[in-house]
Order: sequence, then C-alpha cells, then structure tokens
Amino acid sequence: MREVGIVGIGHTKFGRLDYDLVDIMAWSSLEALKDAGIEGGIDQVFVANMGAGAVNNQTGIASALVSRIFLEPAMAETVENGPASGASAVKCGYLAIAAGMADTVLVTGGERMRETTGWKATDFVATLTHPDAEYAYGLTLPAYGGMFTRAYMERHGLTEKHLAMIAVKAHRNAEKNPFAHIEETASIDGIWDGPHREVVNPVMADPLRLYDLCPVSDGAASVVLTAMETAGRFKKKPIRIAGIGQATDTHCVFNREDLLDLKAVRLAAERAYAMAGIGPKEISLAELHDAFLILEVAESEEVGFFPKGEAKKAIERGETEIAGRIPINTSGGLKAKGHPVGATGVSQIHEIVKQLRGEAEEGRRVKNPRYGLAVNFGGFGNNVVATILAKE
Amino acid sequence: MILDELEKRLRPPARAVPSYPPKVIVLASGKPLVVRQAENDDIPILLEAIEPLVRVRKDFYDIVAARMYAELLSQYLHRTLDPYCLIGTIDGVIASIVNGRMIDEKRGMSYHTLTIHRGLRCGAHMFAAKMEHHMDVLKQEEVFIVAESYLGFKRWMIEYQLEPRPDFQHELGGVGSYALTRKLYDTYKTRLLAGTRPVPPEVLRTADTLILPDEYPQIPGFKR
Amino acid sequence: MPTTTELYAVDRNVYAFRCPECGALYYPAPMVCRKCRNRRDPSVTVYPDFEKVPLGGPCRLLTWTRIYALPEGIDRPSLAFGVVEFTNGIRAVGVLMTEKPKTGALLDARAGLVRELVGRDCYGLQLFDPSP
Repeated sequence: MREVGIVGIGHTKFGRLDYDLVDIMAWSSLEALKDAGIEGGIDQVFVANMGAGAVNNQTGIASALVSRIFLEPAMAETVENGPASGASAVKCGYLAIAAGMADTVLVTGGERMRETTGWKATDFVATLTHPDAEYAYGLTLPAYGGMFTRAYMERHGLTEKHLAMIAVKAHRNAEKNPFAHIEETASIDGIWDGPHREVVNPVMADPLRLYDLCPVSDGAASVVLTAMETAGRFKKKPIRIAGIGQATDTHCVFNREDLLDLKAVRLAAERAYAMAGIGPKEISLAELHDAFLILEVAESEEVGFFPKGEAKKAIERGETEIAGRIPINTSGGLKAKGHPVGATGVSQIHEIVKQLRGEAEEGRRVKNPRYGLAVNFGGFGNNVVATILAKE
Repeated sequence: MILDELEKRLRPPARAVPSYPPKVIVLASGKPLVVRQAENDDIPILLEAIEPLVRVRKDFYDIVAARMYAELLSQYLHRTLDPYCLIGTIDGVIASIVNGRMIDEKRGMSYHTLTIHRGLRCGAHMFAAKMEHHMDVLKQEEVFIVAESYLGFKRWMIEYQLEPRPDFQHELGGVGSYALTRKLYDTYKTRLLAGTRPVPPEVLRTADTLILPDEYPQIPGFKR
Repeated sequence: MPTTTELYAVDRNVYAFRCPECGALYYPAPMVCRKCRNRRDPSVTVYPDFEKVPLGGPCRLLTWTRIYALPEGIDRPSLAFGVVEFTNGIRAVGVLMTEKPKTGALLDARAGLVRELVGRDCYGLQLFDPSP
C-alpha cells in the first residue's frame, strides 16, 4: 500500500452561513486547493455530509460540488457516517490512494444545519438513534450525553466544575481560532462561580449545562490527499497519515454491558496506534469529539492519555491546555469551534495539520508537535474513527 | 408644563407608575449586564441603535426593529399610555432592549425584545426582566404576549408555557394572544430570571451614558 | 383476513423478543439471534417471527437525565429519561414519571403514550415509582 499525505487544507468559518450548502463546501475546497498550490488534477472527491437530504432538501452533493468548482471528470461520492462522516471520508480518500485507484483526492466535509430551527436540527440528529426504542420517545443525543455524564460523575467523582473548566479552555482556544463559531469568552466567574449561574448557564440535559454542549453550526472543511511518493510537487511539505482505526458498537447505548465503556473509541484508537507504530505517549496533541464536554473527558481516557476516571486530575493540573502535557481541542473543539456534523471530522484533521505545520495562531500553537490524534465519534459512540497524523 | 390644547388631546395622561429598579446580571463571559429603565432622554440614542436592524431580513429582525422603533418613538413623543422600556448594557454599550406598556393596573402588554449582542443570552435575560417588571414591580396579574419570530415563539411560548388567549386581540395584531400569568411566572422565574440589587454604584455608572454598538453580528462588516 | 377491529387495533404494549430456538431475549428486536444465529422474519414468510414478550414491571434505574431542549413536535419545557434494567437482564430507555429520580432506585415500568408524531402515536415505557 502507498503512503498517503495531506498537502492542502481549507476551512470556512463555522457558525451561521446563509449560503447554499454546495457553495459552502466549494469555498473550503477551493481554499484547500489553493493551499496545495493546485487548481485541478483531482482524481477523486469524497464529500462528507449527514443531512443534505433531510435538512437542505439536496441530494447528490458530491456531483454538485465537483461541478461547482469545475473538477469534472473526477470520480465523486458522498460518505454518510453520521457525525463521523468527516473522518470516514478521509479514510476513503486514504484507501483510494493507498490502493492506487487515485493519486490526488479532495475530501470535503460540509453541513448546513442552521437553515432549519434548533429543535428541528436536534430532531434530525436524533434520527441516528433506534427508531422504536429511542427516537420514538423524543430521546436526543444530548439526553444520552446527560445520562452518560451522570453515570460518569457518580462513578468517578467528576464534578460540574471540571466541565466548566473544560468549557473555559474551549472558549479560550476558539477565541484565537478565526474559523470558530463561538467568539464569546466564557469565564469560571460567569458559568460556574457567578451569582446567576442557574440562569446564565442553565441545565439543558441534567447534569449537562448550556456551556457543556456544542452549538448547531454551518460550515465546511477540506483536505487534499496525495501519495507521499509524489507529494514533492506540491507547495507545502506533506503531513503523513500515519494511522487510521475504526470500530463500531451497539446501536442502542443501553445495550452496552457497561454504559460508560466507549469500546469503539478504545478500539479505533488502538487500531490507529498499531498502524502508526506508536502509543498514546507519542501523541503531541489531540482533537477529541466533544459534542458534550463529558466526551472529551471519557475519550481522553479511552485513547490512553489517562487511566479511567483520572482525566479530572489532568484537567485540574491544566495538562490538556495548549501548554500542557497533552493539549486537547486546541481548535476550541466541537464545543466552541462548532459542530457542522459532516464537516467535523475533516475539520479535526485540518486542525491537526495546521498544528503540525506550525501554522496555528499565536496563543493556541502547540510547541514542536510530532504526532496528532483526531477522534471522530458517530452516533453516541456506535461508529468511531481515529486518525493519527505525523510530521515527517 | 403648558401644553398646547391640541397636544393635550393627543397626549395620554402621565400617570405615576413604579420604575424598574436597576439590577446587574453576571454573564457567562464574567461581564456584567446592567439592566435599567430607559428615561425618555435615552430614547433618541436607542432609536439610533435600532435603526440599522430595520433592514435585516434574517430572523425577523426587520419587523421587530421597525415596530420597536415606532413604539419607542411613540413613547418619546407621548403617544402611548403608560409605556416602559428597559435596556441592558455591557460596559455601557447597548446590548438589548425590551418594551411594553400597562393596559390597566392588573394587565400588561409586552411589545418587543430586540437583542444586538448575541451569544450571551442577553435577550432571554431581558425578556425575563420585562416579565419581572410587570409582575414584581407593577404588581400585575397577567401579561399579554405574541411573537413575530419563530425563535421568539419557541422561547417565550414554550419555555414559559404561556396560556393561549385566542379571544384576546394583542395590540400588535396577528394571531390571538398568549398570556403569562402570575402562577406561570412564579413557576418559571427561578430557572429564567436572574439579577442582583442594588447595583454597585461604579457598575451602575457604566450605564449612565449609553454607547452605540460598533458591531452588529446581524450585519457583517457594519460601519457606523 | 383480520377483522375490522383487528385491522384498526392499536398495540399499546412494548415488547422484548425471544428467540424461538434458544430462548435468548432481546430488546429491541434484532434480525438474527446473537447466540444461535437463528433468523427472524417480521413478515413470517420465510422464517417465524421471534416471540413477543411484554416488557414492563419492576426495574432498576441505571442513569437518568432531564432535557430542556426538546426535538420538533414536543411542545413542553422538559422531559426526563432513564435507562432501566429489568430482572430478566433486558435494558431499555423510558420516560421518567417520577418527581425525584435517583440512580439505583427501583421503578415500575408501564407502557403508555410517549410521543405523538404526525400520523403515529408512539407507545413506550413510562417509569413510575413502585406502587406502595
């Protein structure tokens, strides 16, 4: 199999974008091509998206994107794997090049969710759940986030304050990220210690509060992949895809033997580490799928950064801050950068590339990173993709 | 004041109604949102703050801004009976405005909630302050409310579980009204109402002179 | 041919599904038995369907939440959910009808109307405090 590297990255601002979904994806795609120093020569396009059909009444968006930016006759497909669509599309790109079917691949993840109302968007994401045993009840992903958080807190002694500390970190990182949805500061004085916490930061999915949840965002992110053997013809040095791992788990969360066991995260990470020939200690930074802040905590343990139940000590010691031992969600994460579901996995890869190139903005730039890990979490952990990138 | 005879006929009587006592809310950013009642002299600068939003199609800002502009102008020119306007400021900058009026001693009429500073729930805090004004300051029994935006409808009608009053025609026209009753207010105020009084003088002083916003998140690239 | 009554009958129960071959119990229904690989055919054309076992009764609350941002079509300020485990080991989600839920508490699950979708009433488990 051929080695694969990333030679171009592009991103739109996340937030509310009043443009056609394909235009949004076209923007990040063109940015990625520009970053790679090319205008065409793409053999294959993979588009990651979850809701174009359901939310935007658009289908066949991979073909539409190719045509919008004149990449015909490139091969093109849409990849839908729930909120893990982005990393799955990167994986498809990797496979296409590794197998020799393509030399250069454009992967774009995009979503336009704010075209609809927040409660319709919540309902759309909830269609990931089991139609009879979960969705029919009005159960949502934040509801599972709340139930998972309660179980975790009761077992491991994590407190709401720990989550508030992660929220403050996420906002601080996002403030320095020009692509982030959230531009407002969050302070412990406001969301935790403040006299009006109950109203300013209300409980949304008990015990999760407003500032423990990601926003609903529009946006797109893109990467250009190519075979490492021919990557020298591009403008920038390639960032190598060192490992990809993926695993699935039960559709209904309640059917997991241990409700707190995110087995698919653990297996996906283990598979990615094995492929890269490294372990968690070699990772310099990570983008973990924190649609609910508890997921940053639990995933950081499942991928081997901390023993089970111990992440809270790392939070207290600031180990996951930019200057900490293992910076997590330097982009602001889903929590503050935003979460256009189909774009998220590609956006995570975009951030790792930016950090490994040393291009991240001052104040959120990680010092001398070598390996970065991205975990893209589909459903409530029923389909997880872990990707490791390496600076050569 | 000596009023022209015709002006007298057009101007409703100025009745003594209690004023909203200022309060401060510590926002998620840690910054204070000072909420106080607007005096008539504040209204011209409020109109200036509202005006750019009259041309924003998104999220019904246009209709809410246009109507609030007219309502505050009417208040300024003394053409509304017992109106009030509350303003929320961050470092003196106008962040959110709410208004309404008394129908009579027992009943209030909510007009509009217009939020310029997005992302810190200022609108939700100001709507709650408006309900507080009707219920705790004016000691009314119920407030009539309608919404023009989808977000407003979801926020106010669902979050407060307002009672439908299809037979009551709200002054803004449109569909039959909804009402916040004292019982509903008492049920939801713990979750939705915030604020501390008295406001420390140095904090209150920041809201003495109102400052126009430099930026409108609703209008990318706005230049005054 | 079903009678008119049968044709319009509304099944308000919630069921677990038992494999007719090995007796393994599932919720919700799979299409194949994990233990003996026996196939399930909801149309009862090629294979028999799994046996329906009404789900309800005593259960223990494993975790719970109350959500305040509800999806389209549920016009109420909040809704509480819990994950419960029945004595037969089956787990399910239910709507909590108790005022003060507590992890580990014993509850009584009963089938009831949990959501009204367009053209479809959804029946599911409602979780009550056990009757004294």
